[in-house]
Amino acid sequence: MISRKVILTGSFGVGKTSLFRRFIKGTFSEKYITTIGVKVDKKVVEIRGEEVSILLWDIAGEVRQDKVPKSFFLGASAIIYVFDLTRPSTYKNIGVDMKILNDILPDAIIKVVGNKEDLILKEGTDNVIDIAALDKIKKEVAIHVDATTSAKTGDNVEQLFSNLAEEFIA
Amino acid sequence: MVATSHKKQDKELLNQLQSILLKEERVAIERLQETIDDPVILSEKIRPIIEERMLFFKENFPKEFKVTVDKMIEVKLKASQEEILDVIYPVMGKMIKKYVNHQIQMLKDSIDESIKKTFFSRGILWRLKNSLLGITVSDQVIHDLKDYQIEEIYVIQRNSGLLFGSASTENTIDQDVIAGMLTAIKSFVEDAFKREREDLEMIQYGTYKILLQNFYSYYIAIAISGSMSSTEREGLANELLGFAEEELNTLPAEPDQIFEKVSISLREKFIK
Ligand SMILES: Nc1nc2c(ncn2[C@@H]2O[C@H](COP(=O)(O)OP(=O)(O)O)[C@@H](O)[C@H]2O)c(=O)[nH]1
Ligand SMILES: [Mg+2]
Repeated sequence: MISRKVILTGSFGVGKTSLFRRFIKGTFSEKYITTIGVKVDKKVVEIRGEEVSILLWDIAGEVRQDKVPKSFFLGASAIIYVFDLTRPSTYKNIGVDMKILNDILPDAIIKVVGNKEDLILKEGTDNVIDIAALDKIKKEVAIHVDATTSAKTGDNVEQLFSNLAEEFIA
Repeated sequence: MVATSHKKQDKELLNQLQSILLKEERVAIERLQETIDDPVILSEKIRPIIEERMLFFKENFPKEFKVTVDKMIEVKLKASQEEILDVIYPVMGKMIKKYVNHQIQMLKDSIDESIKKTFFSRGILWRLKNSLLGITVSDQVIHDLKDYQIEEIYVIQRNSGLLFGSASTENTIDQDVIAGMLTAIKSFVEDAFKREREDLEMIQYGTYKILLQNFYSYYIAIAISGSMSSTEREGLANELLGFAEEELNTLPAEPDQIFEKVSISLREKFIK
């Protein structure tokens, strides 16, 4: 079985820990839990009969600030950079962050993910996602957005990780 | 007609003349031909020349090719720096240990010598001596009471926290998660104290101890229950150096490739 280290990073409150929990345990808690430092967990993904063990590091703190030990990032095969689709402040510095991440891990796969898509709803509905609004936000982000997810509904979460696993065995 | 016969005559004459004049050359050419055709003769002729050339090489190689070779080695070293360091680390560790032990032995001898010469009460000296040797009195007492037990052992890639191998007394699940968390804690502590040259060496909770021994691209973590004296710890550290030297000198970039192999060796050696 192959094993890979994967990192979740991005601004405060974008939903990293929620995505982590959704992926690892398949649950979502509305209760906000502040992550202190880092948490590591594992999930085994099966791709065409081959098992890929993903060791997911949920790292709290902004990449730009020096508070996060750079060594947390080292040795990772992939980085999932999460931003909040409802808060422009969480993606306005994405260019700077990408450069820093690229310097630390020049060979890692980077996935840019917009989370909380369940909050981008068509007016007058309470569960229909506004695709046009979503596309508009994606265009505002300086970098190509690889996926939009919801840790709340679980939409695209499983998909995000199986895509990664697929790239690991390719 | 006359002209033609003249010509013929001329030609014969010329041939005769040639054969007389060039006789030596012809013989020489024939000999040369024979020499070339016969491998034994040929090699006999050439060997001295090659040998001379080889000798020249032997003597002048450093002068002629030093720069090229140095460059080659440099490139090779750079490319495989990690591997080389993993080979060197345990050896260096052993050497340093040997040196330190030697120094301690000398210190011990000189203390023993001074004991014979002085009037100090034996109690104080005994304590002093033992503390100089890194053995505390309590260690001495505990040592007689209880032995330690290795519960789990992990060989962990330094940065990624991925497992090169692991073994444990019980069927601990998610050893790779433990390895990841240990690595995160270790990074955090080392970063927080910014002691770049120093590594975290032990994590303790309750009676459970996790000893960490650092190598170049990996570290070994051992969870221990019970009490362990400094001497025992020293012994274990030596065993680890030996294990590293034998089993962990060529590590692949992807730890999962040798996980089974290393895990089996760990079990055989440390978890009895
Ligand atoms: N509606 C919605 N809320 C979310 C989603 N993901 C996270 N949250 C909420 O956003 C807040 C911050 O989430 P958290 O996972 O702690 O963010 P982190 O700081 O990036 O780890 C919490 O109140 C979560 O319940 C999502 O996909 N949709
Ligand atoms: Mg968090």
